[in-house]
Amino acid sequence: MMGKHTKSFAGLLIMAVLLVCLAGSSLGAPSAAVVDQWEIPFLNCLTGPIASIGEYMAWSAHRAAYEINQKGGIKGKPVKIVDYDTGVSPEKAVEQMARIVNKSLVSLGPVPEACIMAAMPLAVRQGLFSMTASTTYEYSTQFFPWTLSWYPPTDKHLAPAAAAWAKEQPKMKKVIQFVEKWACWPSMADAHADGLASVGVETFTVEVPTDAVTFGPLVVRALAQKPDGFMFTCTSEKVAKIIIELEKYGWKDKSKILIFSSADDMPLYTTGRDSLNGCYIYAYFDGAKETPRWKTFKENYKKDHGGLDPTSLSTIYYDCVYMIKRAIEETDVTGDPKKLKAERIMIRDYIRNMQDFDGIQMAWSMKDGIPSDKGSFLFVIENGIKKCVTYVEAWK
Amino acid sequence: MSPVLYYFLSFTGINILMCWSLYLPYRVGQLHYLTVACMLASAYFSGFAAREWSWPFALIVVVGILIGILICLIPSFAIGDAPCFTVVIIGLTIIFILKTAVENSPALGGTIGFFGIPQVNHLLPLTYLLVVYAGAVIYRIDHSRLGRAASVVFVDKNTAAALGIDVKRLGMFFQVAAGALAGLAGTLYAFLIGGLFPEFFNLGVIGTLMCMLFAGGHTTMWGVIVSVPILEGMQLLLPSAIASWRQVIYALTLIVIVLVLPGGLVTKRMLLRLKGKVSGGISKCNN
Amino acid sequence: MEIFAAQLLNGLSLGSMYVLLVLGFNLMLLVAKIIQFAYPHLVVLSMYVCWGVLRHTDNMLLVVLASVASCIVVNVAIEPIFRLLAKRHGLDINVSFVVSMSMALLITDVMSHLLNYGYPIAFPTEWVGKSIFSSGLIAFSAGQAYALFGGIAAVAAFFYLLYRTRQGRVLRAISENSLLSSIIGIPIIKTRVLSYAIAGLLGGLTAVMFARLLGSASPGLGDFVGMKVVAASILAGLGNLKGGLVCGLLLGIAESMAIGYLAGSWSNAIAFMMMLVIMLIKPEGLFGIEA
Repeated sequence: MMGKHTKSFAGLLIMAVLLVCLAGSSLGAPSAAVVDQWEIPFLNCLTGPIASIGEYMAWSAHRAAYEINQKGGIKGKPVKIVDYDTGVSPEKAVEQMARIVNKSLVSLGPVPEACIMAAMPLAVRQGLFSMTASTTYEYSTQFFPWTLSWYPPTDKHLAPAAAAWAKEQPKMKKVIQFVEKWACWPSMADAHADGLASVGVETFTVEVPTDAVTFGPLVVRALAQKPDGFMFTCTSEKVAKIIIELEKYGWKDKSKILIFSSADDMPLYTTGRDSLNGCYIYAYFDGAKETPRWKTFKENYKKDHGGLDPTSLSTIYYDCVYMIKRAIEETDVTGDPKKLKAERIMIRDYIRNMQDFDGIQMAWSMKDGIPSDKGSFLFVIENGIKKCVTYVEAWK
Repeated sequence: MSPVLYYFLSFTGINILMCWSLYLPYRVGQLHYLTVACMLASAYFSGFAAREWSWPFALIVVVGILIGILICLIPSFAIGDAPCFTVVIIGLTIIFILKTAVENSPALGGTIGFFGIPQVNHLLPLTYLLVVYAGAVIYRIDHSRLGRAASVVFVDKNTAAALGIDVKRLGMFFQVAAGALAGLAGTLYAFLIGGLFPEFFNLGVIGTLMCMLFAGGHTTMWGVIVSVPILEGMQLLLPSAIASWRQVIYALTLIVIVLVLPGGLVTKRMLLRLKGKVSGGISKCNN
Repeated sequence: MEIFAAQLLNGLSLGSMYVLLVLGFNLMLLVAKIIQFAYPHLVVLSMYVCWGVLRHTDNMLLVVLASVASCIVVNVAIEPIFRLLAKRHGLDINVSFVVSMSMALLITDVMSHLLNYGYPIAFPTEWVGKSIFSSGLIAFSAGQAYALFGGIAAVAAFFYLLYRTRQGRVLRAISENSLLSSIIGIPIIKTRVLSYAIAGLLGGLTAVMFARLLGSASPGLGDFVGMKVVAASILAGLGNLKGGLVCGLLLGIAESMAIGYLAGSWSNAIAFMMMLVIMLIKPEGLFGIEA
């Protein structure tokens, strides 16, 4: 039997333990939000020639915000994505960045490269972490630590994908690469050539004029060099048109065609259709993956886009919003304007070294703003659907 | 000063210079898009000279202006009195050729773009100092014999020639002056943005500048001083829900203004009337 | 030689499309005294109409009718804007150029916002057709055949209308001198509207042939083609119909040869440089201005 004193001592001890636990948990718990809602600005191209890309990037960010709000928001407060249109104009990008740079905690964009180049120096000067996730390593690293790179270094990331395709085609020795000189695509083309060279395949370049109307002349030029295969580093619509022309000129072996990730966009499939059957493509996510989260995303996307499937770029800003959510929840960020500078740095440092982020397609970790374990998938296209052939790890 | 106001005012100043560079050759009936090529060349030169050679700002401004002048001077020997649309196509052609040259030059960043241009202190007041100076020069030209001769050429080249005006030399003068303004605008643009991307210099820029010039009024230099801040400000004030329709709003605005107010928001007649009222008021006061 | 023949064939079919566009563009310039920069954009809009109709029926006649009707309706519908413009500004073609540039921007933006979610449209594979002739690097598709022979037929019909009919004489009279034409009783406004309708008809037919040649269209296509059409027209001499015929065809061939033989992204720049030299030497165009 326990004595009276022993009982009261045990009671006191339990209470003390509970108090310590409570105190401990309150010490470790993130601070509460002081804002009514978390406003996240998104500098995006909503007008002009690539407005359709801007639309689905905005859609995915809004989708993430909707899901988060359905589940109670961030630290109990709702999230709101505020769109700022930059078109493709650097001037407008700077003006829009100027509107948010002194008041926002973190921002999404800018999109595309011309706007990144123009607006990011201002973000850097004012210390605003802005997630330029749609671009490549070359652009992002210019503005470190005030942004992140969504992809590993281009030469380490794309070269193995091209090499993996070449290994599937052992007799291929000479490849023509169609390259459009736009933004970072020439450096992506160089990475492809490095990858092919690593397995003994020689690459020759045929440049694709940006304003070409027909592609017959380009295909004649390429075929005259008697290649064994083709690689594409140009806009999705042009890829599809060139493949159709290749078919017209009698090219039958589609397995000797590799399309790069940036062309994994809706125009490729709506324009290329059956002509794409058998072609290879590499991308950063596997659309056929059946997780409940991905399924819901895909269904809603299709519902809002006339039944069209989501493409590579459509998930990027969805994941970005979730990254911001986790950063706010895991740190002492409150949204207090008086602590803006310090809280921006907290978010920046957390995201740039986020571990095991649970993306909609895969989990990955960041190290100093660069993904440390993100690879790519090699697919073969059958009736507009990508079938995964292999997962390719980035070179170290 | 808030960044919004700073960039709003800076871009307004630069766009006023660019609109004036279109306004001057239009005095003799020429749509001189070559000025966008001047802007491109001088912006890239300025960026390169500042970053790679650490040239002082004042020297870069002078050389930038000279580059603009040179780019306009050489073709002007052939197109000083050319029909408007020949000048249009030559302008667009040279923009395209220069853009291709930049895209193929690794030293200028190629298609990736050129960044890391150092900042200049007091760029905004310097910009406005230069805008005011350029405005004063244009005002003097407008109110000189050259300005009157240009008005005659605009209406009828043959009459102008019959009156003894050297149409070609006059056209060359206005084209070269436009080149100087565009060269200056290019230099200021490079220092303001801090990075350059060849894709910026495209048809969209020409469309925006034309909208500003024709909405403000192409018959007087004062028109753009009204239209540029309005159109620059419009995009800052548009609610995000309709932000994606900005281009459509611009295009409709221009069509409506050109149809309803043929001379734009500010016309020569309006200025004369205003001048009459002011001088009338002053003489009343004196009496 | 084989490569040259293949590129020539490609150039001819593309050139025939440019010819049709330049003709419609020049007709409005001659008769209505406007620079209709948005004309190629209207043709692209008609391609979207073709695509829309094709989703419901594969009746070729219906598709052609829909394309032609839409292009005529839209082109005639914008005529009052240019008439009002002429009333306010006199016949200042520079202002018409500025307004039509805005119209082009409007059409492009509406297409990229409202039609097919801004994505390019693709025509059925059988609409473009497979190769009807193939030998080495020389291949000739049904789409190219439609573009080339359809283009020749449309141009022939257009010139017949212009030079062998009473209505054509009226159009030519107005283009020469609208004041004298009105004195001798030619209804100016009615004839100008007719020129918009004829340009619309040509545009509608061009849309169908372009669709068969390219197999797809996107909102930006109007801008790509627009500049080339204006350039060919100016190179020929503004408003010069026969010059436009030659320069449109030459432009198609030059573009194919430049892409086929010259180095990559420099190909178009070199083509433009050649054009620049010609225009610097002959600022009034190769065949002289008629507008």
